[in-house]
Amino acid sequence: MTGVRLKSLIRHGRSKEVEAQKTMTLGKISIGAGRVRRALGLSLASVLTFAAPVMAQDAAAPSAGSYTPMKPTPGIGMPVDGGINLQQQFSPTGEYGEWLHHGLLWICLIISLFVLALLAIVIVRFNRRANPVPSKTSHNTVLEVVWTLAPVLILIGIAVPSIDLIAKQYKPAPKTALTVKVTGNQWFWTYGYPDNGDFEVISNMLNIPGQPVVNNGVREVGSKPWDGPSHLEVDNRMVVPVGEPIRLQITATDVIHSFAVPSLWFKLDAVPGRINEKVLFIEKPGVYYGQCSELCGAKHGYMPIAVEALPRDKYNAWVLTHAGAEIDGQKKPAAAAESAAAPAAAPAADASEAPAGEATAEAE
Amino acid sequence: MATTADHFQAHPEDHGHHAEHKPAFFARWFMSTNHKDIGTMYLIFAIFAGIIGGAFSGMMRVELNEPGIQYLDTFARWFGAVNPDFNTTLHTWNVLITAHGLIMVFFMVMPAIIGGFGNWFVPIMIGAPDMAFPRMNNISFWLTVAGFCSLLCSAFVPGGTGNGAGTGWTVYAPLSTSGSPGPAVDFGIFALHLAGAGSIMGAINFITTIFNMRAPGMTIHKMPLFVWSVLVTAFLLLLSLPVLAAAITMLLTDRNFGTTFFDASGGGDPVLYQHLFWFFGHPEVYIMILPGFGIISQIISTFSKKPVFGYLGMAYAMVAIGVVGFIVWAHHMYATGLSVNTKMYFTAATMVIAVPTGVKIFSWIATMWGGSVEFKSPMVWAMGFIFLFTVGGVTGVYLANGGIDDVVHDTYFVVAHFHYVLSLGAVTALFAGFYYWFPKMSGRMHSEFLSHVHFWIFFVGVNMIFFPMHFLGLQGMPRRYPDYAEAYTHWNHIATVGYMVMAFSLVIWFINIIYAFTAGKKVGDNYWGEGATTLEWTLSSPPPYHQFETLPVIGETVHH
Amino acid sequence: MAGKGEPRSNRKVALTAASAALAMLGLGFASVPLYRIFCQVTGYGGTTQRADEAKAATVKDSGRTISIRFDANVERNMPWQFKPLQRTDTVSIGARDMALFWAKNDSDKTVTGTASFNVEPEQAARYFNKIQCFCFTEQTLKPGEEVRMPVLYYVDPAILTDPDNKDVQQITLSYTFHVTRVEDAKALDHPRTGS
Repeated sequence: MTGVRLKSLIRHGRSKEVEAQKTMTLGKISIGAGRVRRALGLSLASVLTFAAPVMAQDAAAPSAGSYTPMKPTPGIGMPVDGGINLQQQFSPTGEYGEWLHHGLLWICLIISLFVLALLAIVIVRFNRRANPVPSKTSHNTVLEVVWTLAPVLILIGIAVPSIDLIAKQYKPAPKTALTVKVTGNQWFWTYGYPDNGDFEVISNMLNIPGQPVVNNGVREVGSKPWDGPSHLEVDNRMVVPVGEPIRLQITATDVIHSFAVPSLWFKLDAVPGRINEKVLFIEKPGVYYGQCSELCGAKHGYMPIAVEALPRDKYNAWVLTHAGAEIDGQKKPAAAAESAAAPAAAPAADASEAPAGEATAEAE
Repeated sequence: MATTADHFQAHPEDHGHHAEHKPAFFARWFMSTNHKDIGTMYLIFAIFAGIIGGAFSGMMRVELNEPGIQYLDTFARWFGAVNPDFNTTLHTWNVLITAHGLIMVFFMVMPAIIGGFGNWFVPIMIGAPDMAFPRMNNISFWLTVAGFCSLLCSAFVPGGTGNGAGTGWTVYAPLSTSGSPGPAVDFGIFALHLAGAGSIMGAINFITTIFNMRAPGMTIHKMPLFVWSVLVTAFLLLLSLPVLAAAITMLLTDRNFGTTFFDASGGGDPVLYQHLFWFFGHPEVYIMILPGFGIISQIISTFSKKPVFGYLGMAYAMVAIGVVGFIVWAHHMYATGLSVNTKMYFTAATMVIAVPTGVKIFSWIATMWGGSVEFKSPMVWAMGFIFLFTVGGVTGVYLANGGIDDVVHDTYFVVAHFHYVLSLGAVTALFAGFYYWFPKMSGRMHSEFLSHVHFWIFFVGVNMIFFPMHFLGLQGMPRRYPDYAEAYTHWNHIATVGYMVMAFSLVIWFINIIYAFTAGKKVGDNYWGEGATTLEWTLSSPPPYHQFETLPVIGETVHH
Repeated sequence: MAGKGEPRSNRKVALTAASAALAMLGLGFASVPLYRIFCQVTGYGGTTQRADEAKAATVKDSGRTISIRFDANVERNMPWQFKPLQRTDTVSIGARDMALFWAKNDSDKTVTGTASFNVEPEQAARYFNKIQCFCFTEQTLKPGEEVRMPVLYYVDPAILTDPDNKDVQQITLSYTFHVTRVEDAKALDHPRTGS
């Protein structure tokens, strides 16, 4: 019965504001817009090249938003040649984790060397020639209690900071934290910005010269000055503000993926049908690379993650390069954003039905 | 060891006419009910499966030698792809990792260590004439073979973007359900059903044999530790495999009959599949390693000429590992979005396992301490095991920490860890057992020189393969990748070279086997001397077709 | 053959072991409903609670507020647009509130969908009560049809005394719509992937 009531409510409730919230989906591209604009007949390619006119306009009206991808620092936020330790960490949990990691590795090393030393003593002192008559000792209660309790104490020593680290990692984001929505797909990531007008960025790995094409229509790595390492660099990075907590919400549309960035101490599965949430906090501006970390089919190895952390003002400028972008619930500056989006979307016939919907949209 | 058979003379009867009566070839090998023949078949089967699984890892290592895709296209053609497109080529990689994992776990280590050595020596060590259910023993073996055939079939039928099941050995939903159309995954699941059914029957057989068929005087606390290890393993099999069977049956119905046990669209939860899989999967890793613990205990006691130090502690440490092994499964799932309290619990519970494992390591060393150690080939392998298992064990404690797991989960660090405990642990134990018992099983001595050479080359090779993987993992290289960023090239190249070294050591092993059968000296009952005290050393080498026509009576144990 | 000295006893042990295996098999299957019940009772996995009108009526407004965020997704094969009509909302803990979601069928087929849902942070789920939700039943949309779908919910004031939730300032309620049925027998081909 609930269903029937619900449905009638739904039918009657359909209204004009709804139209205002419409989002267009065109192939892989979906452009969220506060106002209804229907991008008719836009091919994937034309949308992908759409960044160019926007940037051209930026020159004339800087306040409309501008963005040039950051050039990554070699060896930062990415693996280094022949590296043997963790990548340098750029988040508070990462630094805590790295400290614990070093402590644990020392414990591992000491225990391994201790066992090796005991084996060496056995080889030297208790071989057949050195010790022809074996002892018959097969019990020593004190010894047995010691080697049971000593590991217990070591483990308790490990458990205290370990549990503390988990607690810190799970500290929920404050109410004001920016939310970024990460969606795993076979085989690319999309990044949604619900707090900035709900636009979505599609992120594909750049093709590798001399290797089979991984993503049709995507350029090759190294063709732009800001490109990072092959296998890791993408066409559109996940851009986020630096120095503030970000609420990352992660899901998938098909199979399980995993969003992982080693230098930010971050890994969380993208499970279809549910969201997972964790706080990301990046201490320094930069580009941080990661890769999908849950087997998701053929191109599992070709859906990297590139996180670009920018100061707030540069982040806002980046936001404004997107159609329908908002900052703090405002289209700022409205005119510029409008014109920025114009090349991509022409007002559609049903736009007249849709008086401004922002009020409802961001009814916070 | 724990038992002696000082008061026991088996030979007069065992060499009698009846004991040597063997059926004709077909009946002997295809309808076999003899535990030693079935054990032999398990060992041969495991070697065969191991060659295939090892070849798959070789294919993976050559592909990973440098960045980019070089050989996968050729491999895709081997699995029947005609002009494979890029997705088919990449799918072949997933088939390789899946098949390598499944073969090594279900068709190499388990058949060798439980089916092979377990069948051969558990009845003998407890003074029983055979297993409790000889015909069921035969069914167990042939079910395993049938499962292996089903798995091989799966590689040649469609499974998504190419031939074969490309789901990983964990067969996670929804990649294994909606993500893998075609019959390949069904064949793979069926393979697990068959092998699982065989293992459950084997477990029932071992439990019954060990509980009911011990010779007079062989109390449960006098059993050799290898028998203890197989008993604990049998319980783990008995209680964990049915859960896997249920989980993969539900996968099968999700795939074929429209159920939604693990599909969010019908109210199911893909994470539940992971819980069920790892409820089986974690005991499974102890299933693979516990009999190895048993073998190592026998060998160390034998060559130190001392009884095992802290026998009861050793036995109950295995029981503790088995019990705790059932309540730590979700440490394989730290990245799935577990709640904070769940993650804390599994972190703490997992670290507890280090305690009984430490007891075992220290007890082995204490057994050697004060001994008169002879470094014959099995002993060298056993000492190698202790060191390699320690390295794998300490990285296990590292990985137990849920907070650390955020950075190393599903990276090569994990691959390094579980190969140190399994490839370098369980397989080293297998080789130790092989050199320990091969003359007993065959009646001929292998070359001690070649065995030592085999050990040292193998030891260098496997460390070259797997130690650099720690570095790759810490640097963030994810597992199950056919291609990687250039920064990972150096250590991957070293690992591939290490693979070749390891493969060369196996050639020496095969030469050693051929040498033993063609030129090996015939051995007597107890070719390892005074330290070898368990019942198999009272029998001829090879033992009579039917042993213990008159049950042995077990005397006082040394350690009591 | 020798070795069958005590066949009866062997059978007893074997049957006991086999029934243990069978019990574990049963437990494996039973885990599906058990897990569901466990999640529903404890909120594990971010499972929200379901409250009827009567129960909801007994809850008192605590006067404290909390922020609620709304999130909407569709699985890959689902040809619907699906959005929350408000991104966030500040509600009084204990007071019932309504959120609206909007969906539109972009395909030329009648499509029936079901929504899966969860709450983050997970520990808040046991206090998140739904009185009415479009996720309780299937939803059918004709070609081009659009609907507004309400959720009636409240946050249990008990959350204020739960130490696990002391840091929770915002709760996200997330839905994902999945295809249940497509009227036209032809399978849907509506991939979101391009390359």
